[in-house]
Amino acid sequence: MASLVGVYAASHGPLLVREWRAVPAPEKERLTAAFHTLGRHLSAARPDVLIEISPDHWVNFFLDNLPAVCIGVGERHDGPPEPFLEAFPHRVIDGHAPFALHLARTALREGFEPSLSHRLKLDHGFCIPLWRMALERLPRIVPIVVNSIEPPLPSIERCLAWGELLRRAIGSYEDPLRVAVLGTGGLSHSIGEPTMGTIDEDFDRECIRLFSAGEPARLAEVLEDRLPRTGNGAAEVRNWAVAHGAAGHRGFELVDYLPVPQVIVGCAFAEWRF
Amino acid sequence: MRDYWLSKLFFDLQAPAAAAEYRASREQVLSRYPLAPDVQAAILGNDVQFLAKRTNPYLLRYFFLAAGMKDEEFIRMLRYG
Repeated sequence: MASLVGVYAASHGPLLVREWRAVPAPEKERLTAAFHTLGRHLSAARPDVLIEISPDHWVNFFLDNLPAVCIGVGERHDGPPEPFLEAFPHRVIDGHAPFALHLARTALREGFEPSLSHRLKLDHGFCIPLWRMALERLPRIVPIVVNSIEPPLPSIERCLAWGELLRRAIGSYEDPLRVAVLGTGGLSHSIGEPTMGTIDEDFDRECIRLFSAGEPARLAEVLEDRLPRTGNGAAEVRNWAVAHGAAGHRGFELVDYLPVPQVIVGCAFAEWRF
Repeated sequence: MRDYWLSKLFFDLQAPAAAAEYRASREQVLSRYPLAPDVQAAILGNDVQFLAKRTNPYLLRYFFLAAGMKDEEFIRMLRYG
């Protein structure tokens, strides 16, 4: 049987690459250390497959076809198309079609209806954490796109349920795969809104407290209340909610949190308890 | 509310070659999209607040980035017009 060997989350703001030169040295050191800590822990877990959860930032999908959730079931995915990620070393990224299709079949059997893609382009949301974690070997990636860009968005409760589903699906896969989960994005930021540039530290610290505590109903209640009143980028915390469900709601250990005005994101990094 | 063709224009201009063509010849690129006259005027006039009501905020940001506007100016126009 497959086994879940680690659950992680990391911010993925594009300015972590595009405006890296503008980040002051102390923040650079902390961001680098946080990514590397996650990278070391992920490598030590020796995953064969990494389920990575991120939004699609208008790369694969547009208004004419906008899935709430899409599983990348292809044997391969394309690397990031954004010009500022030209130096990302993986232009083609191996997937794991049999396992991804098992996730899809399990989902359909249990009343979830994901969209499927046999060839996704993995944008900065997927690739910046992989790059910055400095992994010596990239596991096979099973990407899951969760819409947090164009409303209406999946509820936090549903995202938690998706995570629980992933946990069950991993447990029911017959081959002895080692599977890790990485949710990316957040915490607070605001894109293309009058509040752009604002980091809502109070929201971020409340998020961290709630995820640390583990209690899913309270987490969903507070996030549904607060998300409409903070920047739109914080909606990506849905990916953290999926990770939280996959980890069995056990709560996480914060690796680091730092608001970085130069990248306009409250940057956070975490590893769930096992 | 989403203006489909405005959003499609912004989506398409994420491609570097398309953005370069837009910067070189804005009217020619705009002529390929069935945009309402007031929407087209807002694009040509950099009316950020008008456009913000009609498209996704991420697409709005990508467009003005592709058009060559710095984030500081974009944020100022979002807030104050």
